[in-house]
Order: sequence, then structure tokens, then C-alpha cells
Amino acid sequence: MPTPALSAEKLEKKYGNFTAVSGLDLRIEEGEIFSLVGPNGSGKSTTLKMAATILFPTSGKIEVFGSDTVGEPEKVRKTISYLPEEAGAYKTLTGLEYLDFMASVFLRDRAKAAEAVKYGSELSGLKDKLKEKIGTYSKGMTRKLLLSRAVMIRPRLAILDEPTSGLDIINGYEVRKTIKQLAKDGITFLISSHNMLEIEFLSDRIAIIYKGRILACDTPADLKKRFSTDNLEEVFIKLAQ
Amino acid sequence: MNIFLVLVKKEIKELLTRQLLISIAAMLLVFYVIGKVVGTQHKASEARNSDVVVLDLDGSALSKSLIGRLSGAGYRVKKTSIPCIDTALAAPEFKDDGLFMLIPAGLQKGLDAGRKGGIGFYSKFTNFSASATTVTASKIRRTITRVNDELSVYVLRKRSPSLDAGFAREPLAALEFVMVGGKLEQVSLGQALASIQSQIFFFPVAMFFIVILAAQMVMTSVASEKENKTLETLLSSPLDRWMLVVSKLSASALIAGALSGAYMLGMRSFMSGITAQAAAGAALPAQAALAKLGLIIAPSGYLLIGLSVLFCILCALSIAFILGVLSDSVKSIQVTIMPLMMLLMLSYILPLFIDINAAPLSVRLLLYAIPFTHAFTAPQNVMLHNNAQVLWGILYQAGVFAVFVTLAGKLFSGELLLTLKSPFKKA
Ligand SMILES: Nc1ncnc2c1ncn2[C@@H]1O[C@H](COP(=O)(O)OP(=O)(O)OP(=O)(O)O)[C@@H](O)[C@H]1O
Ligand SMILES: [Mg+2]
Repeated sequence: MPTPALSAEKLEKKYGNFTAVSGLDLRIEEGEIFSLVGPNGSGKSTTLKMAATILFPTSGKIEVFGSDTVGEPEKVRKTISYLPEEAGAYKTLTGLEYLDFMASVFLRDRAKAAEAVKYGSELSGLKDKLKEKIGTYSKGMTRKLLLSRAVMIRPRLAILDEPTSGLDIINGYEVRKTIKQLAKDGITFLISSHNMLEIEFLSDRIAIIYKGRILACDTPADLKKRFSTDNLEEVFIKLAQ
Repeated sequence: MNIFLVLVKKEIKELLTRQLLISIAAMLLVFYVIGKVVGTQHKASEARNSDVVVLDLDGSALSKSLIGRLSGAGYRVKKTSIPCIDTALAAPEFKDDGLFMLIPAGLQKGLDAGRKGGIGFYSKFTNFSASATTVTASKIRRTITRVNDELSVYVLRKRSPSLDAGFAREPLAALEFVMVGGKLEQVSLGQALASIQSQIFFFPVAMFFIVILAAQMVMTSVASEKENKTLETLLSSPLDRWMLVVSKLSASALIAGALSGAYMLGMRSFMSGITAQAAAGAALPAQAALAKLGLIIAPSGYLLIGLSVLFCILCALSIAFILGVLSDSVKSIQVTIMPLMMLLMLSYILPLFIDINAAPLSVRLLLYAIPFTHAFTAPQNVMLHNNAQVLWGILYQAGVFAVFVTLAGKLFSGELLLTLKSPFKKA
């Protein structure tokens, strides 16, 4: 079996006495688009943060391309790109300066960094607005800039927390198309979302998470079949009851 | 470009906001205005200092010569023919005058007959500012002594014409010496005090402002990255986390350094204006003596003070960095900065009122444990030739800095940064 892009075993995270994630087992193959779906506070962001090496599991382990996120975080960080939920950017920088800065943070090779900036500028679709300060951007513009930042460096694993929140229908659609295209190029995606339509359109596989536990994990089609419905939302509601 | 430089550049771009530039400009303006106002006030009160309104009811040869002598001694005598002191005090033409002298009729005759003369000195308050009251008091004392001198010369001449009245009145030639830090020079205490004051008066205030400003910068920088979650992105990147800490500290230290430089330049030109004015009167040998005493700080002294200030800023920055980690939003840093502000106030204000070296051991230990104290007292110590103490202070500051930077780095390499609940927030 090839090394999975991400694997979690008996993953648990406690904040003080509160257990946010418990006994989570996951396996994501390279090139997959994998979605975590669940109600507010179910532990999606917590799981993503552990995959992004910024939170440490209380017990269990999580590996990215075979490297442990706690034991070898430097190795993991070279392969991932993480987009936090509700993230902002440096308001006093222009969009272009921001992409430039982030490219040099992630890529030491200057030619590669320049290429990434070029690609990111195109992806963002912000055109001339890129020369203005981020402080003047709308919420959706900032989100698009951050999304472009996250994928422009072409990480092996992109961890996106609610990538399309705050985007309008057209922009949301474009972002989804881009994600699909990048997945075809071999980038693996771990995504969290509340938007069932988006999840169904995007995901190769879905894990439904509730109170820190995975209730079901399968392709959208198989999930619908298993719960004999043609609507993912209903699957979700049946599981949450 | 080196990644460290990229980080520092981004930090500086973030920190140098319009608000910061405006508040810096405002601060410099305040200092400039204070300097200007104090300078011109000084000159104005100096001028008014020599004004005296004289009501000569005696009209004798003595009273005339007395008035002439006062004029010769630099007083600006305003003679008035108003015969009544109450009217003169209330007269609109003398509304800005503070000193009136009433020479009663029969002064000369009385002295000739061996009776003490009674001259009235009236001072009128126009305001109660500290400088006005002390100036008025010393002016009265000076004027009375002067008048007394003149009258005693008159009496001596009258009684024994053969005597050298000037010599008899003042047979003493006072030679003033001042000893500082084991060095002895001939210079007046007044001059020495003026020189000390002129060089260290603004120092603690300016340092206080600069340190607070620098601390606020680094706290804002950390807290806003936390608030915007840009920090989470950086933490998940391949960047060495130490680099994040060091770049943030460096950027703030650079700006604070530039500020201190600007302040030093501004202060130098301002002070040189004042000292040039003073030096015009004072003899050059006095300047030389002051320099020998170390009361005019030499470049090496400035270097030592500068180093002490630099490490003071670094200590404050490293502590502020940790406080920034503890703040969950940019807004809350107004509260989170309090512990630092308190330490700074203690080490700023206490040494102004007490002699640290004579204070009880507990107070001394407390003050010297605060790294900022060493910088606040550095100019005094340099003037007193306690260079070793300044050096030890710098070493101690460097140690404190190292401890807090290590702590900050530890905080940045764990997850505490994201999960820590601010102790400053309820529940
Ligand atoms: N720093 C923290 N300290 C304490 N508890 C936390 C912390 N962060 C998250 N939690 C708790 O952990 C649980 C899971 O949070 P998490 O952010 O992972 O949820 P989520 O699934 O991403 O929710 P949402 O859909 O609202 O984004 C929540 O109950 C939350 O209150
Ligand atoms: Mg979330």
C-alpha cells in the first residue's frame, strides 16, 4: 500500500478537561479531496490544526506523508499549506506584497517563489486590486487572496478550513473548480465545510464528525445509498440524531 | 533576499503605520515646544527679573546715587513720581511688575544721624508657577543685599573717609570648589548643578516614552497576528519559529533605536542652544572644569548610556512580547501592558525622590532587580564616574533579556500560544 497523504490513529485532543476530538481514525490517499463535515463545535478545526502541526494531540498520532506531526514537524511543514478559518491578512501590505512575503516564507528557491506569486496573482482574480492595501479589501476578496496564497505554493497536502465561507456563488464555484483541477495535478486536499452542496460537488470522500467522533466515512454516493436518500443533508441529519 | 530580512521588512512595514508616525511626530513636537517655551520663558523672566519700580520720596543725594548704582549693577530701574505706594502697585503701567521699592523721606538724614533706615520692598504676585515664586524670592533677597551694600559703603565713607570701603565691606574672596566622584575642580556649585540639570532633565521622560512606545509596538504586532490568525499560518510554515520571535523583536528595536537617535539629535541641538546662551556669560575655564569633573558627558559616557538604554529597550521588548502572547486581541493590550508600565514607573519615579544607594537594602534590591532602573540611573552614574556600576547594570539587563527571549521562544514553539486563555480576561 502506498504511503497515505494523511493518517490518524486513535487521535484525541483535550482542551483542559474538555474532549474536543476523541478516537479519530482517518486515512487520506494522495490526490484525494477529503472533507470533514459536522455541526459547529464538533472538532473539525481542531483536527485540521493538529494536521497542520500547530496543535499537539493529547493522545494517538497523526502522520502526514509518513512523518509524525509531533516528532518531525519540520518535515511535515515542508509538505503542507494550511488555511485557518476566518483568517485575516496583514492590512498594511498590498495583496501583491502579501503573496510575495508568503512565497518567500514557504519557498526558499527564489525562482520558485516568483513563479508561485505569479500563479497566486492569477488565481486570486484580483488584478489591479492586488496593488492596493489589504485593509481596503472586502471579506470575499481577502478570502480569495488567502486561498490563492494557500495553493500557489503547490503543497502536497492543502488543509483548508471552510475555504469558501464568505464567497459569493460565482467565486465559490470558481474556487471549487480550481480545487478540482489542482487535485487532478496531484495535490491532496483536506477540507472542512458546512456547505453540503459544495461537499457533494467537491469531495472524493466525506467523514461526518459529531462531538469529536467520526460517525461515517465514505464517498458521497455510497453515503446516500447507505442511508437510502438522494440528499446528503438528510444523511447528516439522520446521523446527528 | 535573506528570509530574516524579509521578515523584518514586513514587520517594519506593519509597524510604521500612519498612527505611529503621527504619535512620534506629536511626541517630538511636545518636546520641541517644551524646550522652546522653557527657553523663552527663561529669557523673559530673566529680563523681568531685573525690573524694579522705585518711589523715591527722599530725593536726597544718597537716594539718587543708590538708584544710579542699581542701574549700573544691571537693574532696570523704573522711577516713578507717584507719591503713594498703593497707587503705584495698582497703576496700569506697572501691571507686569513684581518688585517695588519705596525710599522714604529722610533716609539720608537718618543714616547721617546714625539711625537705621527703613526701605520698603513690595512684591506683587502675578502667578504661582514654581519658577515665578522661587525667582521672586531670590530676587528680593538679592536686591535687599545689594541695597544694604550700597548703604553700608555710604556709611563707611561718611564715618572714616580714609578706609577702603569696598575692601572693608567684602574682605572675603570666596573660592568655590566642587568634588564629584573623587575629582576636585574650582567651579561654583551653581554652575555644576546647572550643567547636570541641563543634561539629564529630559532623559528619563524621553526614555519612558520610547520604551512604552516600543513595548506597545511589539505587543500590537504579536496580538494582531494572533487576532487575524496570520500567526497560525506562519506557525504551520517551514519557518524556524525562533526567527519569528527574533524578527519581531528586531523590527521594534530598530524603530525604537531610530527614535532614540532622533531624540538625542533633537536634544543636542536644543541643549547646545541653551548652553551656548549660558556659556556666553560663563567663563570658558568653568566649562573646562566641568568637563574635567565629568559633568559634561564625554562621547564614551554617551556610548555607555546608549548601551544601557538599548538593553533597557530590549528587556522591555522581550517582556512585552510575552505580554502580547497573553493578550487575545489588539484592544486588550491597553490592559495587558499594565505590569510593564508599573515596573517602568517604579524605576522611573522612585530614583527621582530617593538616593538609591542610601535606601534600605530591600528597596535597593527591588529597584535594581527591575532592569530599567539601570538605564534610568545611567547618566547620573556616568557623571559620578561609576562606570563599573553602569557596566554591571548592562550585563544584568542582558541576562534578563536572554531569560525572557528564551521564554518567548519557548512559548512560540509550543501550542500554548493558541490554547492559552489570557489571565487578564474573565472566564
Ligand atoms: N482553545 C480552546 N480552548 C478550549 N476549548 C476549545 C478551544 N478551541 C476549541 N475549543 C472547543 O473544542 C470544540 C471543537 O472546536 P472546533 O473549533 O474544532 O469546532 P469546529 O468543528 O471547527 O466548529 P465550527 O464549525 O463552528 O468551526 C468546541 O466545543 C470548542 O468550544
Ligand atoms: Mg471550525
